[in-house]
Amino acid sequence: MTSRTAYFFLLPALILYSVFVVLPILQVVGYSFFDWDNGIIGQFVGLNNYSRLGSDGVFWAALGHNAIWVALTLAFPLMAGLLLSAILAERNSSTIRWMAAIYFIPRTIPLVVAGIIWGWIYNPLFGLLNFVLDSVGLGSLAGAWLAESNTALLSLNVVGAWTFFGFCVVIYLAAIQSIDPSLYEAAEIDGAKWWRKFRDITVPLLKNSTLFLGLYAAIEAMRFFDLIWVTTQGGPGYATEVLTTHVYKTFFLVGDFGYAAVLSVVLLAIVLSISSISFWILRSK
Amino acid sequence: MIKLTKPLQTLILGIFVIYALTPVYLVILAAMRSEADLFSGPLTMPWPPNWQNFSRVWGDSGFSVFFMNSMKISASVTILVVLCAPPAGYAFAKMKFRGREPMFALFLAGLVVPAPSVIVALYGNLQTLGMIDSHIGVILPQAALLLPFSIFLMRTVMQDVPDELIEASTMDGATPFETFIRVVLPVVRPGIMSLILIVFLFSWQEYLLPLVVLQTETLKPITVGAASLQGRYGVDYGGIAAAGLIAFAPLVVLFLAMQRSFVRGLSAGAVK
Repeated sequence: MTSRTAYFFLLPALILYSVFVVLPILQVVGYSFFDWDNGIIGQFVGLNNYSRLGSDGVFWAALGHNAIWVALTLAFPLMAGLLLSAILAERNSSTIRWMAAIYFIPRTIPLVVAGIIWGWIYNPLFGLLNFVLDSVGLGSLAGAWLAESNTALLSLNVVGAWTFFGFCVVIYLAAIQSIDPSLYEAAEIDGAKWWRKFRDITVPLLKNSTLFLGLYAAIEAMRFFDLIWVTTQGGPGYATEVLTTHVYKTFFLVGDFGYAAVLSVVLLAIVLSISSISFWILRSK
Repeated sequence: MIKLTKPLQTLILGIFVIYALTPVYLVILAAMRSEADLFSGPLTMPWPPNWQNFSRVWGDSGFSVFFMNSMKISASVTILVVLCAPPAGYAFAKMKFRGREPMFALFLAGLVVPAPSVIVALYGNLQTLGMIDSHIGVILPQAALLLPFSIFLMRTVMQDVPDELIEASTMDGATPFETFIRVVLPVVRPGIMSLILIVFLFSWQEYLLPLVVLQTETLKPITVGAASLQGRYGVDYGGIAAAGLIAFAPLVVLFLAMQRSFVRGLSAGAVK
């Protein structure tokens, strides 16, 4: 088989990918070194656009929010998925199938629609959350969840987790079902209780799935846009601003092409380094 | 240490069922209601259900058009990906050629590229190509952005095709292309099915690209339509809920019907 045959098979994908992904990335990197005036490229200014990052408070706030989002995603939906799949694995196969399906349903709902529905749940006037809090006597906790800067990001993360934990369950279940059952049987003979088996067998043997999901969560946390855009658009103030919304606003609303390119390059550099570091860790093991 | 007894385990499973389904229930409820206020009154489903919101949104607010646009865009993206990704995945899985490793790394890097970071240059390019405000301007970039995942999935699937099968076909005098069409594709049909479902799902959910590329109202897909409905009629909750339901019900039904295929495709990348 010659190389030419292989290139023939690769050609359609390569053309499409080069024109609409690789080329724009190279262009964005190039744009970030130029001065821009009303969308028209001007002089080469070297790293001048990059020097603005230091004093851009919104950028640092956004970066912080992305980091918080990663941490929250690792802490809640990932751990929930691990626990749920470990519990489910001991049930019969039709329970497993149905529960996994139910947990996965939120992932099939477009984030735009998810944002709208949850916006209603969080609504201070008629929202379900305040209504439930009121009726169980916790009315003092009720609030304008998405409109207050100390609760907005956390509230949105609950929505993100809602769409993600079912995916974790699906991935973990696939891995758990390939664990050798005799390991659990041996542990039971030694008198190990559920929690011990979970901690000493399930969790260590699922390390690769956890790494995969952790990486996936981290990348998604850097890339997500839709959910923020249809709910808070980064507000109130900059309380839920993330890198993608900052890029979008800088480009489409401010029209600052050079700096939007800088932000894009930074975003790309972050996701590429996260993925290559974890790839390297996976390889070296 | 708390004891995780069986009833407690079932309780945990149940709490997460409520977490997963409450928002879905609420949107169905809101869509079936005629009252202007959303959740005042009982949280039980009205009977008989009220379909007025659906007919109003479907006709007057143009959701029949948004729906068809979503169909057209997602179907085109899926066809394009299915034409490009399986042969590429096959090449990476079964062929030796110069530049294989760097080329695969190039596609692999695309797995993590955030769409907002290419949009700055992509928007100008689409303008130059005259593709702004047209479906093709959404379809091509979207298919391209879905290629890394699709090729990765296809490579995993193609690796399971027995080499003897390919060799036997080559012995019989088939060209590589004939071997691919007649021998390889039939074997990997379940994998292709997973690819179709997942790409269709992702494409249907896409929001950013159509939001920036399409300006004409009658060209927009259902995600952009639903979001703009929220802006335009901020208080028509019944209508917005009906619109949201139209936007995701087909996906939920498709997923429940084809669950095995979905799960196989989603976990293929994770297991290896």
